[in-house]
Amino acid sequence: MDARFYDGLTAQSHAAEVALDGDQLRIQADGREFVWRLKDLSVEIEADQARVSNRRERDARLVLPVGEWTPLAGDALSDKVSARRHREYWLVGGLTAVAVGVVLFVTVGVPALSGPVARATPVSMEERMGDNINGQMSHVFPACQNSAGQRVLAQLGDRIAAEADTPFDIRVRAVDAPMVNAFAMPGGRIMVTGELIRQAATPDELSAVIAHEIAHVEQRHVMQAVWRNFGVGMLLDLVVGGGTGAGQQAVILAGQASELSYSRAAEAEADARGQALLHADGLSSQGMAPFFERLAGKGHEVDEAAEFMNSHPDSSRRARVARAAARPGRSALTPDEWRLVKTTCGVEDSESPVDSLKRRFRIGDHDARADERIEVRPH
Amino acid sequence: MTDILAEGAPEDVGEPLVFSTTLEPSRFLGLSLKNGLLNLITLTLYRFWGKTEVRHRVWKGVRLNDEAFEYTGRGVELFIGFLLAAVVLGIPFLAVVFAIQFGAEWMAIFLFPLYIALPWLWGFGIFTAFRYMASRTTWRGIRFRLKGSAVNYGWLFLGIGMLDGVTMGWFRPQGERMLAERIWDEVRFGDRRIRFRMARSQREGIYGPFAIGWVGSIIGFIIAIFVFGAAIVATGDFQSTAGGPPSEPGILFTLTVYGVMLALSPFALLIWAPYHAALLRSIAAGVSVDQATFRLDVHALSLWWLTVSNLFLLLITLGFLMPWVQARTARYLIKRLKADGTARLNLAQQAERGPGSGEGLADAFGFSAI
Repeated sequence: MDARFYDGLTAQSHAAEVALDGDQLRIQADGREFVWRLKDLSVEIEADQARVSNRRERDARLVLPVGEWTPLAGDALSDKVSARRHREYWLVGGLTAVAVGVVLFVTVGVPALSGPVARATPVSMEERMGDNINGQMSHVFPACQNSAGQRVLAQLGDRIAAEADTPFDIRVRAVDAPMVNAFAMPGGRIMVTGELIRQAATPDELSAVIAHEIAHVEQRHVMQAVWRNFGVGMLLDLVVGGGTGAGQQAVILAGQASELSYSRAAEAEADARGQALLHADGLSSQGMAPFFERLAGKGHEVDEAAEFMNSHPDSSRRARVARAAARPGRSALTPDEWRLVKTTCGVEDSESPVDSLKRRFRIGDHDARADERIEVRPH
Repeated sequence: MTDILAEGAPEDVGEPLVFSTTLEPSRFLGLSLKNGLLNLITLTLYRFWGKTEVRHRVWKGVRLNDEAFEYTGRGVELFIGFLLAAVVLGIPFLAVVFAIQFGAEWMAIFLFPLYIALPWLWGFGIFTAFRYMASRTTWRGIRFRLKGSAVNYGWLFLGIGMLDGVTMGWFRPQGERMLAERIWDEVRFGDRRIRFRMARSQREGIYGPFAIGWVGSIIGFIIAIFVFGAAIVATGDFQSTAGGPPSEPGILFTLTVYGVMLALSPFALLIWAPYHAALLRSIAAGVSVDQATFRLDVHALSLWWLTVSNLFLLLITLGFLMPWVQARTARYLIKRLKADGTARLNLAQQAERGPGSGEGLADAFGFSAI
């Protein structure tokens, strides 16, 4: 017999004789006898070798050719294999149950909790968070320099917010940024980009956007999103670890898709509530639909089929809903105020994004002085 | 503990070391599919058990003097390591996030220690992962172990990373050797010491191949910038935004960029292949046990082909074939691993059991040797 025995104490190889004796394996190695019960054994077969180990002598090994092990042991250890498989079924079942729990928590639990948690978040805490974010954002998107225009914008924000049920001071300001966008930050600050002001054709369009953002603040959507992202992000990061495998990326993407669907729901809610705020002040809400339509026409649109990829609902659809709910009313701004607002960021209609970026980063001969930048404070 | 080199024992007492492998990568196809599917339905939580199974099968396919290695680790040990890491990393991370988001603005200074701590922790995690793996690797029933300090390795890892940045990468080759030394010089087979001799490692030059990769990358970047610039101008993307707000890049553009990067990756890998091959040879040359020294006959072209084909296999299967790729990489290396001289491995005495769990930090940082 060409068997080798290792006693688990040293790496010395011992020539061994092995015999089956009922439910025991008798191993003779260098004058010593080892008796192993079959029920304690497990065997690994690899190529031409069988390696036998004993759970009662965890480090000892018996290695012998497969051709000698198979006739010796027959199927004496076959129940070991089925027991191992059985354990694996339980493991996979348990892990799958945990995974289902995680999915349910991410898709149902976290979004359901985010509303109450956002409402329970102390106002002062949200304001501090807003201050911190504002500090960071101000470096990236500085306030535009025309203080008269900023004042008109801030007053417009105050007027619309007067009807909103919110503990926060609404502080609207125009910022220099090469994109059409408006953001509501935690704590009531709202940023409207110069590009958005440039794209708005009428005061009603601009007031609709601001009303939409105020509705976000009122509904505490920002804080809800913060908690949702926090909960989902933490949980999924925890589950997948730092791995970059396809499976791990798929889990993260699924989490983001889940977040986007809630984000779209919040946008639709802010559209409706924004219009209601305008109506409450007797202002026209007819600017919302044309603005969305213009966005759709400017190539900012995503295909409806691809809407699930986007944080905002499809603009055409939003326009349809907004048009159905629109009501006539006063214009939000006088012609003089509107002219002031349009020049808040000094953006001419002919200015290209390249010129805008040059001006933004003070490249070339544009005379922008940092000390002229202002921040609109509550009135 | 004994060390033959230190004692100058006679050479003829030991045994020559011959590596061989019974690994057949195609036999990992079933395991690849099983692990991939179970990872999907368990949100990747099965990965600890899947990884354990892969190691188990790779280890037993590698033989030294016709005796197979054995991996004795268990999935649950990795899972416990993962839970421990979640607590160790998660609590400070949460504390910092909350302090920065909801506290005063000055609390952002907490980020600075984090920037230092994370690379240190990464190195710490790598070392402890190797320590765990060594303790779960046996040959002839005797465990390996990794002594040394994970704390010090973390500092070395951090320091090398910083020097790497300062020298624009030129410290990296020597840094890799230093990290390898810190690992290999602390490995034991039972109580037998494995050594890493820096002088022997340095005899295998790596700076020439590194220069090829470094200079080639700079040239490649310059060409890429010109090509991308020309492509943007040619497609008119630049002009189309004039007079209107800049639009976000379309999905087609993004896919094109990734496609080009993918198409260029074989070239990037090719210019770095001489360095990667030289580094592997250099590290293997530094390792010795008793009178036995090692050679890894890895050359640039074969290594490049291995890497490119592995990448291709992983891409077209979205990572499913990772176990297959790991098996063929192990087979590639073992078939080229040679030893000269002899070692008295039969004198090795059993080592202690090692850590009860493992690799949680390494998992958190996405590091895995296999």
